[in-house]
Amino acid sequence: MNDGIAGKLAKQFINSKITPLLMVASLLVGIMATFMTPREEEPQIVVPMVDLYIPYPGATPAEVELRVAKPVERTLTEIPGVDYVYSTSMPDFAVVTVRYKVGEDAEKSMVKLWSTLMKNMDKMPPGVQFPLMKKVSIDDVPVLNLTFWSKTKDPFQLRKTAVGVADELKKIKNIGDVEIKGGLKRQVKIVLNKEKLRQFNVSPLQIARQVQLSNTQMTAGDFKQMNEEIIVRSGRFLESSDDVANIVIGIYGASPVYLRDVASVVDGPEEVNNYNFFGHAAAAPNGSASGEYPAVTLTVAKRQGSDASKLADKVLARVDNLKKGFIPADVTVSETRNYGATATDKVFTLLEHLIVAVVAVTIVVGFFLGWRGALVVFASVPITFALTLLIYYLLDYSLNRVTLFALIFVTGIVVDDSIIIAENIHRHFAMKRQPRLQAAITAINEVGNPTILATFTVIAAVLPMVFVSGLMGPYMSPMPIGASLAMIFSLLVALIATPWLAFRLLKTEEGHHEEYDITKTNYYKLFNTILSPFIESSFKRWIAFGVVGLMLVGAIALVPMKAVQMKMLPFDNKNEFQVIVDMPEGTALEQTARVTKEISAYLKTVPEVLSYQYYVGINAPINFNGLVRHYYMRQAKNMGDIQVNLVPKDERKAQSHDIAKKVRAGVQQIAQRYNANAKIVEIPPGPPVLSTLVAEIYGPSQEQQIALARQVKKVFQETPGVVDVDWMVEDDQKVYDLVVNKERAAFRGVSAEQIAQTLRMSLAGMDVGVLHTDKELDPVTIQVRLPQSDRTSLHDLSTLFVQSQGMGTLTTRLRAGEMIPLSELVTVQEKIQEKSIYRKDLRRVVYVTADVAGATESPVYAMLNMDKKIEQLKVPGGYSVSPLYTASPTSDEKLAIKWDGEWQITFEVFRDLGTAFAVVLVIIYLLIIGWFQSFKTPLIMMIAIPLSLVGIIPGHFVHGAFFTATSMIGMIALAGIMVRNSVLLIDFIQIRRAEGADLKRAVIESAAVRTKPIILTSGAVVIGSLVMLFDPIFQGLAISLIWGGVLSTILTLVVVPIVYYIVEKKSAKP
Amino acid sequence: MSVDIKKKFLTLLVAIPLFIAGCGNHDPESIKSRSKALVAVVSVVAVRSAVEAGGDEVLVVPASAIFRKGELTAVFVAGADNRLTVRWISTGRTMQGDLVVLGGLDKGELVVGVYSPSLVEGVTVIKSVTAEDQTHE
Repeated sequence: MNDGIAGKLAKQFINSKITPLLMVASLLVGIMATFMTPREEEPQIVVPMVDLYIPYPGATPAEVELRVAKPVERTLTEIPGVDYVYSTSMPDFAVVTVRYKVGEDAEKSMVKLWSTLMKNMDKMPPGVQFPLMKKVSIDDVPVLNLTFWSKTKDPFQLRKTAVGVADELKKIKNIGDVEIKGGLKRQVKIVLNKEKLRQFNVSPLQIARQVQLSNTQMTAGDFKQMNEEIIVRSGRFLESSDDVANIVIGIYGASPVYLRDVASVVDGPEEVNNYNFFGHAAAAPNGSASGEYPAVTLTVAKRQGSDASKLADKVLARVDNLKKGFIPADVTVSETRNYGATATDKVFTLLEHLIVAVVAVTIVVGFFLGWRGALVVFASVPITFALTLLIYYLLDYSLNRVTLFALIFVTGIVVDDSIIIAENIHRHFAMKRQPRLQAAITAINEVGNPTILATFTVIAAVLPMVFVSGLMGPYMSPMPIGASLAMIFSLLVALIATPWLAFRLLKTEEGHHEEYDITKTNYYKLFNTILSPFIESSFKRWIAFGVVGLMLVGAIALVPMKAVQMKMLPFDNKNEFQVIVDMPEGTALEQTARVTKEISAYLKTVPEVLSYQYYVGINAPINFNGLVRHYYMRQAKNMGDIQVNLVPKDERKAQSHDIAKKVRAGVQQIAQRYNANAKIVEIPPGPPVLSTLVAEIYGPSQEQQIALARQVKKVFQETPGVVDVDWMVEDDQKVYDLVVNKERAAFRGVSAEQIAQTLRMSLAGMDVGVLHTDKELDPVTIQVRLPQSDRTSLHDLSTLFVQSQGMGTLTTRLRAGEMIPLSELVTVQEKIQEKSIYRKDLRRVVYVTADVAGATESPVYAMLNMDKKIEQLKVPGGYSVSPLYTASPTSDEKLAIKWDGEWQITFEVFRDLGTAFAVVLVIIYLLIIGWFQSFKTPLIMMIAIPLSLVGIIPGHFVHGAFFTATSMIGMIALAGIMVRNSVLLIDFIQIRRAEGADLKRAVIESAAVRTKPIILTSGAVVIGSLVMLFDPIFQGLAISLIWGGVLSTILTLVVVPIVYYIVEKKSAKP
Repeated sequence: MSVDIKKKFLTLLVAIPLFIAGCGNHDPESIKSRSKALVAVVSVVAVRSAVEAGGDEVLVVPASAIFRKGELTAVFVAGADNRLTVRWISTGRTMQGDLVVLGGLDKGELVVGVYSPSLVEGVTVIKSVTAEDQTHE
């Protein structure tokens, strides 16, 4: 017999001493790799996203848009690789966000962006300041949050402690950014006294200038004297608040005026600009403090490519050390986020799943092949995975939920090669036609080549998923790569290690001497009874085909009937969620704090909530979702974030998504009472988007866009299942515009700039320098400002004074130095703050956002539902606006709506997966043609592919699950597995026919002989997937593999032989 | 005067049994029930509006109601459910023993008139509105 590649390999290794060594070595490197590969929860996704902040002081949003945003956008879109350009034009500045195509090199993109921007800076109008460019990356997301809270200490003291700890932590290797959220900084406040200023004839601007001038120190140079260089230095930095208070700011009469004469200088906490509180909630262990305490959060990010869990452990150890001395006893440090721990947890849960899957599969194999056979298969799986993990390590992949998912996914498939080989050796040993060694090699030769082909069919099935584009790409690509690698290794293991093991472990059963006869086996009898009627009677055959066809149609019909709904990814079960509170623009910080606090008080009573922390006026530490949604910019006075931590998932029954759904009503009720907009934000399982449901509204003018947006928002609110409706249009905020009377100002010798600066200094305060102290880690600023009690009304402002510059302004001949009240120079105009202008890809857009929960969980159905209502909306011009799904409108002349958000990604993913599936089918077809040298046979084999739908769709219906992206992956992979079964089946028929058997007998015999390995391999896939059924995200995949696997296996064993019989009958008869 | 004494006596009569009942019902299992157990009588005043020198309408609370935690300023608010909550506020200038509230309180809300360190957030109280404020309502 001529040996194939498989046989040659087996011959080489079956008795070689090197085989066991190779096996042990692979196992060892695999174990090492497992521990050395960095662990993290989310896959490393490079989303080159860059934020550009371009200040244009004084400009209105329309002006900022026209002069800054538009030209910048236009030049940026010219850069190759730029995917989207978004911009927001606000009063005084523009934010332009550039998003590159996923996978573009971050550094190169930055350089390209920088050079393009610089090339065009000369075209910017005067007054535009230098842009600030910030790269946004996944490593900005803190992996560890430590909340410092105390019953006795105030935010100022807490921050001081936290800053000290941060400084200490910075020394740890691999640590990234360490930041402090909340608390109050130390500041030297120069609190102006208006009466005294007037009395001593001093203006605020004068104070600022004097402080700046006094705060200098300089090395003047050196001179030589007696062979010595002597350094001359002059000036002295301000080192304490006393230094500041004793600055001479002017002369009044004949005596100097000190700063302390006209202002009080206070060294202490800055004015309150944020509220950050921490509290334990209903699920906190007994004895936890029950109140709500001032808090400061220390966030720790990690460096790229380092292990989150190792870093977190090191940081925690260091903090424990500091607790003994540096951190006061009454300050408690609580761990409010530890992605290291959750990553380790996730990784070990997945590894556990992996082991369970392997053991379950082994038991099934043991059932058919006996414990020795099971052992052969069992031994081969760890070797396969060990090698795959090694490759992960070498390719710089981290161990995360996606890479491990790839392994679980293939568990059922990688055992197949070993099963087929071991089973066939087992069968040949049982037949006893040849001596053991010869029998083993014959067995391998018989199935070796189809096994190789089958492996490549499965690889062909999963590999095209690499080409999924967009943000979902990085989530998906480790999967086909990992699965393909595992498949290749499993093939090598099956051809090298399995024969070696099987040869030694499998026993020839004793007392089994009669000649092997296939027709006497139970399988043969079974298939003879099942298949014979269909082979003999064409009528019965067509009835059978009809039944199968009906089942297929019925299954597919479940989708339009909405019995099975499509959704990209279901929600994962996480240990946290956030509540985002937006008060109308122009709400005072304390009012926002009050609403946020009240919502927190409600959340505190929810039984699953462990602790909560709210941040008002400052953003909560961001997560990956917040990164994409720009939550780090939520620092306005009308914004509050509540971070809600739940009890660990194994200690509660409810999934985090259900808890979020449950609390929504209570939260919304409180929010509505205060006219606030609250959103429950869960961590999305896949790539984050602006919001689950986004309607982008385009149109000829901002007024029309907003008018339509208002109507659309109403439609959103009225649609059941659509929740957390919001839009990105600011509420009206009152503005007092102090218009300078130019003639009068010129006459009095005052410049407009002077007035603006005086006002700014009085209201917002002005930093005039830093205190040069070496004890403080945070810089201590010196700020000039009016006391809060003196800046509460227009009346307060009009009693401010500016000093006449006299002839210095070149407009007047009056004497300089006269104090002129502002009320004389300005007139007040009350206005409404102009609204920000949002643009996306060079077009003005107004966003209406919402989430879906309850009645519909999938945005697609909510969108279809709302389409009808939106089409009925009346717009000026009398046309109807029908929302677009896949592309932005072609012109701005008419109002138009485009759906975005999760839909956009869903659309891209299913489109790419669909394309991948089509490519898969073609590749499989080509592969089989190459093998069987026939155009017809591959088609017969591929009949099994649609048959899997008969199982997959009703399977989802039975489980009440969504048909998700993972379901689709399961379906694609199943195509490979099913075709492999057909290959093995038909290959055997052809071997038997070549040996001279007649067609009918060959067909039935092949079904009988191949049933065992086919059921075994499909069984392995099914059993291996069972463990995934309880994972919220991978459930879809499990359902596809289990239900699709079971049904299409049964149908394949019956339908494929019959179809083959019909097709071959004509050519066989003559 | 005698009316005032009678009122105080009555509230005491109500408060003492409630207090005792609260003590008996001590349940360390949950934070919620623990804080509910405490009952105290507090005198509350309503947040009033006043007219400032410049002619603007402002809200005021008695200076005695205010307490500070470092730079943070707060009052105790007795809500409709008779529970005390800490409300963070920002204050402006003083007006004859009252402080102008710039943010954090609404007109007519009841705040504890005189702050005492023994007050705890979350406790249920019996409100006694002081005479001075009844005129404003």
